[in-house]
Amino acid sequence: MPEPVLRAAGLARSYASPAGPLSVLNEVSLEVRAGESVSVRGSSGSGKTTLLQILGGLDLPDAGKVEVLLPGRGLCPPRMALGRGVGFVFQNYQLMPELSALENVALAGRITGVPSDEADRHACELLGQVGLAARADHLPSKLSGGECQRVALARALVNHPTVLLADEPTGNLDERTAEEVMSLMLGVVATLGTALVLVTHSREFAERASRRYVLSGGALSPA
Amino acid sequence: MPWFLHLALRQLFPPGRRFPAFASVSILGVALGVASLLVVQTVMNGFGEEHRLRIRESFGDCVVTAAAPVERPADLARALRADSAVRSAAPYAEGPALIRNGDFSAVAGVRGIDPSDPDQPARRYVAFGSFDDIDDGRVALGAGLARSLRVRVGDKVELWSPALAERAEKGRAPLPVELEVCAVIRTGFTEVDDRAALIPLRRFDDLWALGGRAHGLTLRLKEPAEAESVAARLSAARPGLAFIPWQHVKRNFLEAIRFEKTMLFFLMFIITLVASFSIGSTLFSAVIRRAREVGVLATLGAGRAEVVLLFALQGLLIGMIGTFAGFGLTWTILTFRDGILGTVNRLFGDGDMVASVYQFSRVPLHYDASDFLVAAFFTLVTTAAAGLVPALWAAGRKPSEAMRDA
Repeated sequence: MPEPVLRAAGLARSYASPAGPLSVLNEVSLEVRAGESVSVRGSSGSGKTTLLQILGGLDLPDAGKVEVLLPGRGLCPPRMALGRGVGFVFQNYQLMPELSALENVALAGRITGVPSDEADRHACELLGQVGLAARADHLPSKLSGGECQRVALARALVNHPTVLLADEPTGNLDERTAEEVMSLMLGVVATLGTALVLVTHSREFAERASRRYVLSGGALSPA
Repeated sequence: MPWFLHLALRQLFPPGRRFPAFASVSILGVALGVASLLVVQTVMNGFGEEHRLRIRESFGDCVVTAAAPVERPADLARALRADSAVRSAAPYAEGPALIRNGDFSAVAGVRGIDPSDPDQPARRYVAFGSFDDIDDGRVALGAGLARSLRVRVGDKVELWSPALAERAEKGRAPLPVELEVCAVIRTGFTEVDDRAALIPLRRFDDLWALGGRAHGLTLRLKEPAEAESVAARLSAARPGLAFIPWQHVKRNFLEAIRFEKTMLFFLMFIITLVASFSIGSTLFSAVIRRAREVGVLATLGAGRAEVVLLFALQGLLIGMIGTFAGFGLTWTILTFRDGILGTVNRLFGDGDMVASVYQFSRVPLHYDASDFLVAAFFTLVTTAAAGLVPALWAAGRKPSEAMRDA
């Protein structure tokens, strides 16, 4: 069995509220291996986004530990792996509105120190893989929601992350486009051997992951 | 190009937009601040330079005086010319006189000079007639004085000196001396143009009964800027004489101009500060609006320092472009300064304000590179600081909070 590329153990996180501390994660543990896809479902406010942010290093747990495999460095805290070991896809795409599709994808490479020529070339390839080669020069405002999400997917994958964290990636898309984007995402990560952690409301999409979990009451349990 | 500079430029000048409002208005604000600062500084420099030039041309690079009129001034001039720092030395005498043309009269500042001296600065300002025609029966008048007396070249004027009154028989009015106007001088310096009457030193000696003495000498130096050190050396060598370098002739006046320039710098700099605050507040709103983007940049691996640079550079870029635009605006305003001032005078004034208040017939200017460097430095510092504050705020936020709050 391959080594995990993402390992989380004993995660706990609570927020202050007028009624006292509100616990959203309690003793959450998870391991994800290369090429594996994991879905996490849960109701609104159940802590899915918080879990994803802790797994990606955007937030710190009150207790517990997260490690992500960074090629050449081994397992390390996710904050160190941001942009290289970990890629994010968000519900609202979160593209830079002033940059073209190509520049948005290449930006992720340039931030991690890839020379701009190389970043552009790789961004072109990825846009081709997600079917947007012809729209590389378009600004996000000129792209449809599905196209924007495909650009966001290419951006998340441009640095060959070991883990892709997707937060409701189809939440803003119509049914048909959502299906297209989800199929594309699952296909691309399978091709690249990237591990996927998918947070979604959709039971249908969650079912397509190789492992499925439900987050409820702060606990993560198999679906 | 680093990614944060690329993104900063794109955020300031978004593609597909003809008028990037934030950038344009901010740059215009900085440009106006820089231009008002530099226009005032350059014109103040011009006034200072003009005054310094006029002082040097009126009094020489160094004035030699004594407690009493100088005896044997020609001998002293010869001796001073032998000094290696002195280019020329010329005796002079001066005094007030009543001057009249029919029903028009004025008090003139009469100066006795050597008309054959090629270094006489008035030669450069002859508007009508010939400077070389000055002799015992001819006088050169300032343009303002000639105008007030209603005389032209070739007309006659009458002149009364204090000594003529002393010579008159008791109980009888002194008789004037008649002089023909041979030249009209226009220096642009109202104090000179409205009062000056130039006659040969020999004739002045007759009219003021100086007995071959002079009131002093004017020295032209090979290096006028070194007048202070030359004057100190010559004073030490000749204790009976006072050598006054041109910088000290109207020292308080020159100091007042310098002080006025410094004060105006700070007053005008307030405009740039206001523009910087405007940049700061607009950038703050932009940073708040872009909070989620800041979070996204963190997910892409951007460090805090790079996020700081992204927003701080926007302030700095506005400062840089605004400063250069301000330089251009300064040049434009100064090139058309007389036309602009004329229009302002026509609209709000009642005449030739510059000439009457500042004693110059047109707005003088003198470009000084150090003013431009100082203005650029302070502007860039303030605009960079204006961008830095929101940038630090943005970079200090936790990515998860930034993405949740936006």
